[in-house]
Amino acid sequence: MLCLWCPDWPVVAARRADPSLEDVPVVVLDRGLVLAASVEARVEGVRRGLRRREAEDRCPGLVIRPVDTTGEARAFEALSRGVEVLAPRLALDRPGLLFVPTRGPSRYFGGDELFATRVLAEVATVGAPGARVGVADGAFTAQLAARRAEPGGSFVVPAGESAAFLAPWPVRILDDDDLASLLVRLGLSTLGDFAGLPEASVLGRFGLSGLGAHRRARGEDEHLPALRVPPPDLELHHEFDPPVSRVDTAVFAGRALADRLLAELAADGLICTRVRVEAETEHGERLARTWRLSGHAAVRGGTGGAGSSPGSAILAERVRGQLEAWVTQDEGPGRADAGRSADDDLVTSGLTLLRLVPEEVVVAGRSQLGLWGGDRAAAERAGRALVRLQSLLGLEAVTTPVLQGGRTPDERIAWVPWGDDPPPLSDQSRPPAPPERVDSYGDGSPTTVQAADGGRGATWPGAVPPPAPAIVFRPARPAELLDAGGRPVTVSGRGEASAPPERLNSPALPKGGGPIEAWAGPWLQDLRWWDPQARRRRALWQVVAAGVACLVSVEGGEAHLEAVYD
Amino acid sequence: MRPVVLAGERRLAVPGPLGRILPGGGLQRGSVVRVEGAAGSGATSLLLALLAAATAAGEWAAVVDGDGVLGGLAAAEAGVALDRLAVVRAVPAGLYGRVVATLLDGVAVVGATIPRGFRPADARRLEARARERAAVLVAAGSWPGEAALRLRAEHSSWSGLGRGEGLLGQRVLRVAVSGRGAAGRERVADVLTGVRSAA
Repeated sequence: MLCLWCPDWPVVAARRADPSLEDVPVVVLDRGLVLAASVEARVEGVRRGLRRREAEDRCPGLVIRPVDTTGEARAFEALSRGVEVLAPRLALDRPGLLFVPTRGPSRYFGGDELFATRVLAEVATVGAPGARVGVADGAFTAQLAARRAEPGGSFVVPAGESAAFLAPWPVRILDDDDLASLLVRLGLSTLGDFAGLPEASVLGRFGLSGLGAHRRARGEDEHLPALRVPPPDLELHHEFDPPVSRVDTAVFAGRALADRLLAELAADGLICTRVRVEAETEHGERLARTWRLSGHAAVRGGTGGAGSSPGSAILAERVRGQLEAWVTQDEGPGRADAGRSADDDLVTSGLTLLRLVPEEVVVAGRSQLGLWGGDRAAAERAGRALVRLQSLLGLEAVTTPVLQGGRTPDERIAWVPWGDDPPPLSDQSRPPAPPERVDSYGDGSPTTVQAADGGRGATWPGAVPPPAPAIVFRPARPAELLDAGGRPVTVSGRGEASAPPERLNSPALPKGGGPIEAWAGPWLQDLRWWDPQARRRRALWQVVAAGVACLVSVEGGEAHLEAVYD
Repeated sequence: MRPVVLAGERRLAVPGPLGRILPGGGLQRGSVVRVEGAAGSGATSLLLALLAAATAAGEWAAVVDGDGVLGGLAAAEAGVALDRLAVVRAVPAGLYGRVVATLLDGVAVVGATIPRGFRPADARRLEARARERAAVLVAAGSWPGEAALRLRAEHSSWSGLGRGEGLLGQRVLRVAVSGRGAAGRERVADVLTGVRSAA
């Protein structure tokens, strides 16, 4: 992830609009307080949050500008378009801060450093002095790397070294004042100290938001494992008829749309962390820009569920800024800057359509896993008890089964730590293609099975047919499958048994096993035959030995008890 | 939301063939149910069927699976909604009672394989907790306390599998049901589970 950070963006935007402000101390005021100050003013001691009078005292000759959100949004849009030339999938966080996924672009430009240099060069032509670039594995780390970088320079945290880079930073950087002050009082003053705590203890003491902060402190992205691609019907649009050219009309519609979007997502127990704002005009121009609704604001807003939550206010603000950037005609003298303004007129006619597409949503909180169809109070009660157990025994000790693709009863279930999101629908650990060869011998028994829920892991050739065994040994227990002469039954490469099995012995069975009354098999499974290292061949048998129905595997001449139909 | 608690609401209906042989068709909330049976006799399947009673009512179920051998797929086939099932593993012996008590706080039906040497005093404490929280504790193995209902899997007989042919299909699970009150006399019944033949 690459983070491009332009400190004091309001000042940069003001200077773009009025070139006479270059090299003089400038501050931008918001409701009487300093919102941003230029380097010249900072040298004189002007800080963010000072009153107007105080700032003027410290820095004679200070030029004061009112805050101009439209200008900021518009200037940032120009910058975004510059970066978009290099990497299309950028996401804006707020004016002055944007993120670009680096995986593709870095390979294309020959490394993170070279990519960062290209971005800085592009930004310089647009005219954003003092922009800094940070590159790291995650967004949080990248943002701190950008802070570490020199003005106009870049700082790259090598892959896998996020935790070491983060360790010396103070905990207040986590952007959670309550948590930070508590940690400091506990004697944990740096991210490294905090990251060193066991995850289960953090969950028990600080709850879910603490766990998120802990993941960030360890250099893992808070939401990364839980991302979900939203279903397509979550996008909302508003058609303008007649087309609107006045920005305030469009903004009004945009705000209502933002409220509705977050309310509908909250009803599904989802939080939006990235939204794409799209617009179309009468002349067929199509505009799109992606905004991140970063961490805390989005999370806190979303869980509230009400239409007027802070999350919805932030989203409405972003939509407003974007619409203003697109629609407002640039009239200032800055119009002619940087030689790019020829194509600055994005919108040559009225808007006909505004669309909000949630690109990335996460499940709101961990306790809503079983919300659908269940009693909400019961889900919350269960969630509290299970989180308490996780803090007692560790996150991995409390799991929930999730159906997935596979052949044996063991493979068909993924045990997901409770509260984590289920793995993606397509099982990545076992590629479904190329298809595995299945040799089925014997009586032409059904060798495929439809998954119970149809969707997850549909039909796998060679799957063990239902019913499923209630006891599944992980790992399989040692066993002996013997023929009438007391010799182990082996399976040839062609899937033929050396002799009919007559006896199954295993310490995991009552009385150590017994004579076999009925059996079926062997079914040969040729697993991962395309990979010489990981290739496995095994034969499966269903047997009933001494009244107990079992699933037995024979691999490399050794038998194992895989499961008992208890 | 519920002004009156009817006797029926104090009961969790057990779906499927097992429910038909239980007194009242289900589990009494706030009680302890004991499930016994040797490995392979069908005791685990009985436990799964009882867990299904909780998720069918929209509530949560949990299992303390000491050996880590519970089959998730079999749970799904028994009718348990997997997204409302939690499985707790790797429980140290000293914490066993505390873990089960915590689960009873939050979950409607808790299945637990009771370890050997579990003390009667701990058992009484869990009984009290289940009563207080209106949760059902399904104790598999040796339960050193009172149980309102006892299910014993006598044995399972399978059909469909021959000598070198066929597949495991239907199972007849013989269950002995006994308990207090209405379930006082021991009754023996056969429960048919598994897939239909020639499915």
